[in-house]
Amino acid sequence: MSAILHLEGVRKSFGGIVVADEITLEIEGGQILGLIGPNGAGKTSLFNIITGVVPADAGDIRVNGVSVAGKAVHERARMGIARTWQNMRLFRTMTVLENMVVAPREYAAESMLRLCLRPGAVRRAIKESCEQALSILERMQLAHLADSAVTDLPYGQQKLIGLARALMNDGRCLLLDEPMAGVEGHAYETMRAVVREEAQAGRAVCVVEHNISFIKDLCTSAVFMSAGRILERGDIADLLASKTLAELYFGT
Amino acid sequence: MEYVYSILILVGIYVVLASSFNLIIGVAGLISIAHPIFFALGAYTSGLLAIHFGVNPIAGAVVGAAVAGAFSLMISLPSLRVSGDYLLITSIGFQLGLLQVIKNLELTGSQGGLSNIPTPIAGPERGWVFSAVALGAATVSVFLIRWIVRGPYGRAISAMRDDELAFVALGRDATRIKIVIFAVGCGLAGIAGAIYALYFQYLSPEQFEILASGTMLTMVVVGGMGSTWGPVVGAVLLLALPQAITFLRLPLAYMAPLQGMIFTLLVILFLFLRPQGLVSPEPPAPLREKER
Repeated sequence: MSAILHLEGVRKSFGGIVVADEITLEIEGGQILGLIGPNGAGKTSLFNIITGVVPADAGDIRVNGVSVAGKAVHERARMGIARTWQNMRLFRTMTVLENMVVAPREYAAESMLRLCLRPGAVRRAIKESCEQALSILERMQLAHLADSAVTDLPYGQQKLIGLARALMNDGRCLLLDEPMAGVEGHAYETMRAVVREEAQAGRAVCVVEHNISFIKDLCTSAVFMSAGRILERGDIADLLASKTLAELYFGT
Repeated sequence: MEYVYSILILVGIYVVLASSFNLIIGVAGLISIAHPIFFALGAYTSGLLAIHFGVNPIAGAVVGAAVAGAFSLMISLPSLRVSGDYLLITSIGFQLGLLQVIKNLELTGSQGGLSNIPTPIAGPERGWVFSAVALGAATVSVFLIRWIVRGPYGRAISAMRDDELAFVALGRDATRIKIVIFAVGCGLAGIAGAIYALYFQYLSPEQFEILASGTMLTMVVVGGMGSTWGPVVGAVLLLALPQAITFLRLPLAYMAPLQGMIFTLLVILFLFLRPQGLVSPEPPAPLREKER
């Protein structure tokens, strides 16, 4: 029962299309689970179900042992589910630091009442968030870009900022949706190092990724999904050796 | 002189209305057309309190704003919980429905309007005192909105407007932010209503018709949607314009349609030629050095 993220019999269908069919899986702290499978397998949909963007039809999802049933997207984020997006979804009119300052689990200025009654406390909390954000950027060697507009950055760095923003949540559960797509060189190395560090710090990490070498590099175990179902799970090397999966993934 | 005062007072009132409408539609991106009815709620509340209970005018204005803010929850709570688009539909229903109630309720003077609202101040000072109050209210509203938009709360609003899904996935409660902004905007319209009621001492339900939101929208669009000073420029300009036309000494029968045509033409021209309005919106709330 030490699993941080726990899914049991999760089901979701849109009309006749089943995107999640009896999904059961557990991710423990320190573990990096790879979620692989062909396009349309339901990998991103599973992230959307976990985070509450689309509600599950059936099944149970627990974070740190607490069920997220009936909770809205923002409430789940406050329970410690942090995620990134395939296409980043950065706040495009804002700078890197501003993107991150609005991202902690509790944003001090979110309540107008608190902002009016305790402006000093809000100011201190924002200062702390700035420090937290800068230390995350420091780890990614991006601190010098704190005041750049996010849209001015190259793609790979935007991807890193997407991860940096998610890390502001400081949640135990980290869901990464194709963190490596379109990322190469220095940004690739940084991404890999940071994801590894986050797992070592005790977070449960789940990575959707098409880049198999990245998965091999980082994950100890993986889950193979196709058409909303988990077909196989287990050791990453065994999975990749499986013939049926190769056929499904690459065609015959 | 009384003519100048009444124009100054209208400028103050309309700056409050246009700025608060801009907070709702331009800043928060909430599509509502019920602004006139919140103006009416503030006006009728403070008017009735003055008539029946002789309430202090400032207390009356505060209650008027509170009533407008509280009524805003009646449409924002159910519609914003579902999706932002429903706000437009509920706001139309609310605007039309509540005005019918006002037109048929004996308490609010029915079709004939609410008259004999006692003035809190009489004598020669009345004009400039009311002008000062109206322009003061306008200044306070503009700076209040500026404080909201340029500060940490405004930063959250900008992020929400950029990408609402990413915003809520970070743990932000977008619905609550929208409900609060809508209530603040409607409350400010209520204050404008209170000043109107106590100065003009007479309220006719016709002036709060749905078309009045067209006037406010014109001020916002022409002035500059989403910018702090845009609605101020828009309100002053569009109040001055009809006054300017009167100097043409056209027959009265031409005046009203001419005004309507000019307003509509302005909106169309601006939407095509300068959609950002006269005053461009400022960049979103910057993270200043001292906040770090």
